Amino acid sequence: MLPKGGEVALDGRQTPREAARYRIESMTTTSPAPRPDIAGWTHFARQAEAAGIESVLISFSRYEPDPFVVACALGQAVKKLKFIIAYRSGLMQPTTFVQQMNTVSALTDGRVSFNIVAGSSSEEQRGYGDFLSHDERYERAEEFLAVCNAFWRGEGEVDFAGRHYRVEQGKIATPFVSRNGESPEIYVSGHSEPSEQLAYSQGTCWLRAAEDPAKLAPIVARARSRGVGVCLRLCLVCRPTREEAIEVADSLLPEDRKESTIILKDDSQMYREGGQTNGAHWLNRSLWTGLVPHYGPVWTTLLGSPRELADRFIEYERIGVTEFIISGWPEVDTVNVFGREVLPLIRNK
Amino acid sequence: MSLRFHWMFPKGGEVGMKTAQETSRVATTKAGSAAALPDLEGWARFARCAEEAGIESVLLSFSRYEPDTIFVACAVGQATRKLKFIVAYRLGLMQPATFVQQINTLSGVIGGRVSLNIVAGSSMVEQRGYGDFLEHDERYARAEEFLSVCRSFWANNGAVNFTGKYCRIEQGKLFTPFLAPDRSAPEIYVSGHSEQAQHLALTQGSCYLRLIDTPENLAGIVKRFRDKGIEVCLRLCVVCRPTHEDALAAAEALLPSEEIERQERRILSASDSKTLKDALATADDVGWMNRNLWAGLVPYYGSSAITLVGSPQDLAQAFMEYKQIGVTQFIISGWPKLDEMMIFGREVVPLVREAERSL
Repeated sequence: MLPKGGEVALDGRQTPREAARYRIESMTTTSPAPRPDIAGWTHFARQAEAAGIESVLISFSRYEPDPFVVACALGQAVKKLKFIIAYRSGLMQPTTFVQQMNTVSALTDGRVSFNIVAGSSSEEQRGYGDFLSHDERYERAEEFLAVCNAFWRGEGEVDFAGRHYRVEQGKIATPFVSRNGESPEIYVSGHSEPSEQLAYSQGTCWLRAAEDPAKLAPIVARARSRGVGVCLRLCLVCRPTREEAIEVADSLLPEDRKESTIILKDDSQMYREGGQTNGAHWLNRSLWTGLVPHYGPVWTTLLGSPRELADRFIEYERIGVTEFIISGWPEVDTVNVFGREVLPLIRNK
Repeated sequence: MSLRFHWMFPKGGEVGMKTAQETSRVATTKAGSAAALPDLEGWARFARCAEEAGIESVLLSFSRYEPDTIFVACAVGQATRKLKFIVAYRLGLMQPATFVQQINTLSGVIGGRVSLNIVAGSSMVEQRGYGDFLEHDERYARAEEFLSVCRSFWANNGAVNFTGKYCRIEQGKLFTPFLAPDRSAPEIYVSGHSEQAQHLALTQGSCYLRLIDTPENLAGIVKRFRDKGIEVCLRLCVVCRPTHEDALAAAEALLPSEEIERQERRILSASDSKTLKDALATADDVGWMNRNLWAGLVPYYGSSAITLVGSPQDLAQAFMEYKQIGVTQFIISGWPKLDEMMIFGREVVPLVREAERSL
């Protein structure tokens, strides 16, 4: 996960708690997070490359810079790392989206894919001029991706007449550039039934929050049998021992036990589910949801020693999970410790 | 204020091309044309030369035949420090809030060196390929709303609410501001010759961009804009050689084959743009508009090919005549793309600056 603007402190160290507070407060009007931070991001990107990370996810919201432009700028500064651009449908015409995606691919030697989000907050969507309901947004996302995929199949001019989009003799000369000659990978995220269907019909990978392997196994098997990959979003706390990791996790709990940023995502099933996981905060010995009622399911945390964490990743691999998008507090320290301590153990198996 | 000189940014592959014939639009819209792909190496070289030549900005053109302008500006902006980018963009392609978020982000990553050229859309066929089915006049009505929403975001006076015929926004908020050392919003160039385009420039633009014409023909129009506080920028080509005769010979050498003429005329006559129709009519009617202004290349290279031809002194004098009627900016191109710009920077700009100092 690419850090927010200004999150990467180039001078001096941050505690995990400072890093977490910075991210929580990034949605306030006084935060420097909405300003692009090429210096901090480049530093993080180089560490991520060295750690063996394949891609960074660049999130989309009205609180942040546009992820397309960020990927393009950062892609000039680093030469190996790939970028997963999160985007909402309903913000631009699919033809324009394809032209932008293709241009950024050509400017970064094919290092882009995208994560389509149907939109998790109706208030935020209305601020972008989008007034559809949750289910209608998925119906539109289906059409949106169908048009995009038609361009990427490259079988001549694109004609499409749907309920939400209409394109006549669409043509974009700039091709999608990729290292394997294929069209972009499409991550579809969400826990709702329409998001799952969208992942199958138009996506290459279904992106969900991490859960206990036993609960995920049938879901993952279903997705894999439909030919799409499964990617889990999780946060990571890695310390020499499990006890130390738990101590760090506890330090992240807000002083105000009622603090919540979930209210901002009123229209997301994933966030509604997250808000309901009160009480039992351990999904298993390593998977902790103590922060989820406050900040949502993407704060689901895998914690423990390097050995324990490596075992958990292997467990997920066994049930068919193919990818992970990880974040931590601070982002730079987490990526370093993951690359140094955890990844070698996983590769050895 | 000194005259501001901008240059037309070359398409992919053009920096290395030597003749006008190679770079004609007919060639760049063909399948497999190098214009479809970014040319970062050539562009970075061109951009640095532009900075040396005293060029303030480059205009990046928008079409389905080229990479997206916002990202070209972003990438080339990383390779330069001074040059500004006038990003052309069509309307009807995205929500205004999304557009503002992209432009603001771009401003933040290239030190605020971005302005906009808003084009309502010059080809129905191309617009339909983008999912836009409005007619010419409606496109301008939408552009009015679109820019009005954008400007509300840039005014930064709290949440944006707007209910129009084409745009509707409720509680719009964007946290990434337009970031520039000297501005809180980009300059907005509105181009087009139609009544609607002129109206849009007056209500929502900071500068009216149009094709060059003789100073006599332009004086009235320019005055009308300047009286309302809107600058005027002229789009033209130059051919500058040591003498007027050399320049004439160089200009005539740019005339291409009949085949290219036939194809270009077909593109021009299929358009519903008034700008293109006007330019073609001028070329067919007169050819030479005055001693230095030649429309002879328009049938071959498109409406923006009206060319100022002459010696450095001829050109400097012509630019000063435009300055006298109130024109403040120019967007220029020439052939070969790089060489003509270097000649301009070396031979013409110093003469203009000298003349400006003695005013």
